[in-house]
Amino acid sequence: MRHYEVVFLVHPDQSEQVPGMIERYTKTITEGGGKVHRLEDWGRRQLAYPINKIHKAHYILMNIEAGQSVMDDLTSNFRYNDAVLRNMILACDEAVTAESVIMKAERAEKADKEYRERRAAERAAAAEAEADESEDDDSDDSDE
Amino acid sequence: MSRHFRRRKFCRFTAEGVSQIDYKDLETLKAYVTETGKIVPSRITGTKAKYQRQLSTAIKRARYLALLPYSDQHD
Repeated sequence: MRHYEVVFLVHPDQSEQVPGMIERYTKTITEGGGKVHRLEDWGRRQLAYPINKIHKAHYILMNIEAGQSVMDDLTSNFRYNDAVLRNMILACDEAVTAESVIMKAERAEKADKEYRERRAAERAAAAEAEADESEDDDSDDSDE
Repeated sequence: MSRHFRRRKFCRFTAEGVSQIDYKDLETLKAYVTETGKIVPSRITGTKAKYQRQLSTAIKRARYLALLPYSDQHD
């Protein structure tokens, strides 16, 4: 049993398959007596350069502990699955469970976006209320 | 014979005591590639040899996963 870090890129049109794929891979790993120490879904990210004329891909990171047969399974799976654009498997010394930098950035971005959306919604509501008020003013003017 | 006072270079990774440079740490890696995507030599950045080796593998891994560009001429 060794520790591995696996990253793979899924075709953005096949993004819906990702939860199923993760489940399948997790199952093969645990059935082979291994363990998944870290599982991160980075979501759809812009690629730094196009791969097969595709500009976005769905990234998944897994830190696992598994035996050789399981890894052989996994690599052949990656090779023959057309939805997987690219994959990288690294051997690690130990189990990594801390949240990765990319996931942190992704989460911060999401929180920021949510905050901004909320602010925008609030501002829109305020503007609407103001507009209503000014409308009232207009009607007052017309009355006079 | 430049008369400019040059600030002393130092290795960021040695100063911070980094154990392993992570290929996922894009903010750090971006500081060590040029605008055209090349890796900046350690003679420019002052990175220690040990870390420059780690840095180059980290950048190459990030490039393979399309986290960093190989060059600025990708279409």
